[in-house]
Amino acid sequence: MSILTVYLKAFLKSIQKLSKHPYFGFIVFGVVLLIVQLMNLSGLVTPTLMKTLILVMIYSIISLGFALLLGYAGLASLGTAGFVGLGTYFIGHFSGTLGYPFIVTLVISLIGAIVLGVIVGFISLRIEGLYLGIITLGLSEIMKEVFKSFSAFTNGVNGLSFRNFALFGQPVSDLTVNLLIIFVFIIMILATLNIIKSPTGRALLAMKNSDSAAQSMGISLLKYRLLAFVLATIYAVIAGILYMANQKFSIPTTWSLDFSLNILAAVIVGGAQSITGIILGTFMIFGLNLAILQNIPFFQNNPDAVWIINGLLIILVIMFYPGGLIRLFQAIKYSIISRYKKIKHAWRVYRYGEDD
Amino acid sequence: MLNNIIYLVLGIFVSYFLIDFIFFRKHSKRPILRTRLINILIMLAILISFYLVVKEMSVYLFLQIFLLNIVDLCVLALATTGIVLIFKTSVTTNFAQGTMATFGAFAAAKQLLRLSATTEYSMTTKLIMVMGVAALTSFLIGLFIDLAIIRRGRNVNAVGKQMITMGLVLILFGFMPLVFGTTPLTIEAFSYDVKIFNIGEMMLILPTHNYYVLLITIGLLGLLFLALRFTKWGLGVRATASNETVASMMGVNTRLITAMSWAIAGALGGVAAFLYAPVGAQITSTFMTPVQVNSFLSAVLGGFSTFGGPLVGALLINMFQSMASFINSVWANVIVYTLVLFLVLAKPLGLFGKKTAKKV
Repeated sequence: MSILTVYLKAFLKSIQKLSKHPYFGFIVFGVVLLIVQLMNLSGLVTPTLMKTLILVMIYSIISLGFALLLGYAGLASLGTAGFVGLGTYFIGHFSGTLGYPFIVTLVISLIGAIVLGVIVGFISLRIEGLYLGIITLGLSEIMKEVFKSFSAFTNGVNGLSFRNFALFGQPVSDLTVNLLIIFVFIIMILATLNIIKSPTGRALLAMKNSDSAAQSMGISLLKYRLLAFVLATIYAVIAGILYMANQKFSIPTTWSLDFSLNILAAVIVGGAQSITGIILGTFMIFGLNLAILQNIPFFQNNPDAVWIINGLLIILVIMFYPGGLIRLFQAIKYSIISRYKKIKHAWRVYRYGEDD
Repeated sequence: MLNNIIYLVLGIFVSYFLIDFIFFRKHSKRPILRTRLINILIMLAILISFYLVVKEMSVYLFLQIFLLNIVDLCVLALATTGIVLIFKTSVTTNFAQGTMATFGAFAAAKQLLRLSATTEYSMTTKLIMVMGVAALTSFLIGLFIDLAIIRRGRNVNAVGKQMITMGLVLILFGFMPLVFGTTPLTIEAFSYDVKIFNIGEMMLILPTHNYYVLLITIGLLGLLFLALRFTKWGLGVRATASNETVASMMGVNTRLITAMSWAIAGALGGVAAFLYAPVGAQITSTFMTPVQVNSFLSAVLGGFSTFGGPLVGALLINMFQSMASFINSVWANVIVYTLVLFLVLAKPLGLFGKKTAKKV
């Protein structure tokens, strides 16, 4: 009996040690998502909620890439929708229409993403601040027009459907796609965590605060701006591929300004510098609508009224909580901790008398 | 002809790098000379490409397309002026300009329905009354936005303010179906006749609606520019634009100036949406989005530092569009946006932008 207790204690201690690791929380999060997926199979979680969670995960990947741009490099870009759309069309065309193996498609998409990222990065070297948003908006419009007009690649305004998703020559079921999305989501989170804690992340942060100061400390603007855009584009293209695997359909009107604005809103609302915040923000902007608000009769009758909540959230957060909702939660956490300490102190005073 | 233009662009690039490398390499004033060279080359490129395309299209066709597209130009000019006015006083690019304008157009269309049902005025009278409604609605929305949000967000940085306007877009999008219902509305044109007139031997057709639109736009913009030049408000706007803190220290009521700028920009947008509605067929919540995108691009192309520059930008974009749709109608927008992108890359502050010293 005593040996067992010793083992248990050792196990608990090792868990405690593990829980200090920065990956721990996110891996637990991934396991929870897997459990939710299994509960969905057994019917405990409704399919609507599961679909919402999967979509939120895909959008979170985009948001993570965008947060590297906005929260770390300080570059406000509105071209996100175009990049994601490009990802969907890459897999839809090369794997769907032409029937290439998935690996080939992935390589082509990554090369495409890098080329595009480098182009936008070079643009960002010349144009800064407010203007960059407008110019990337123009770039996104160009891509949308290309999606509409280049029928051989995108099937034009009718939209491109993609049904034969295959990994290593095997057709893949919806369940496997969901598992793949969860896996890639967690991998992307860990990758982002590594990037932002590495010298690259610090360099991006320095660049955000002051270009001139960063340059004088030996940080190459050229290198890191290009890197930031290439990373954001790669995230967006990967999310696009997953979107196509999950939704099986892509149409140019999806990839318009609203989509970019919503991703921006998600990053701002959650908190652009915290991974938990970004996931929270994406859920607030996309998931809240799909999972909860659509069950309320008012929003069923007026589907567009959901935008009001998103817009209000953005404005309130920017004006009162510039760090994002995650700061609000932190503030609540600290206030609870301080309350608890006060109560504990009061109890001690009552129990053992005043300390001299 | 497309080949000629591609050769022209390539030639301009090559000559820029050659001249820069051979003549300016060891010059002490290299950056200044470079900007001058870029200015000259851009002027040359625009003039030569205009000449090439107009020669291909014939002058008659060019003028005719210009007259038929004049509504687009006027709407673009009005929307762009609104955006620049807001940029001058609040240092933010207003993404909600198009949505504010759409609100005005919706209100106008509703009012037009009511007037048609209850009164017996002639169509032109009704339309003029309704234009007032559109301007007033957007005026009030602009005023409200400044009073409720922008004024309280003074300590928000420029990009943050830009995001606030994006949030406003979402809010207004959400409110539109709640307030005006989901049935698409329409506004009739002033007139469906055409005017035929001769210049030399050319017989040109000008739709009467376009004629009225042109008159209204010139009147409004003329008034605005006179006000900016000669009234106390205009002086205040210019003072606030150059430095808000100093202006407020010198006794300029910057709060009032900013609020009025938002309101007037809203009104301009409302009129623009009202004029654009008969062309864009139905009023939906997104029908001003192309105008919004184009007006941003023309403001960036012309440069935010002057009021006249963006108007030239609007004119250029409009002409590019009619020419590009002549060259290849499917890819017209792609051609125009790419051209603008290249122009802005060559001159990041816009064609008429002035460089301001930045404090590090």
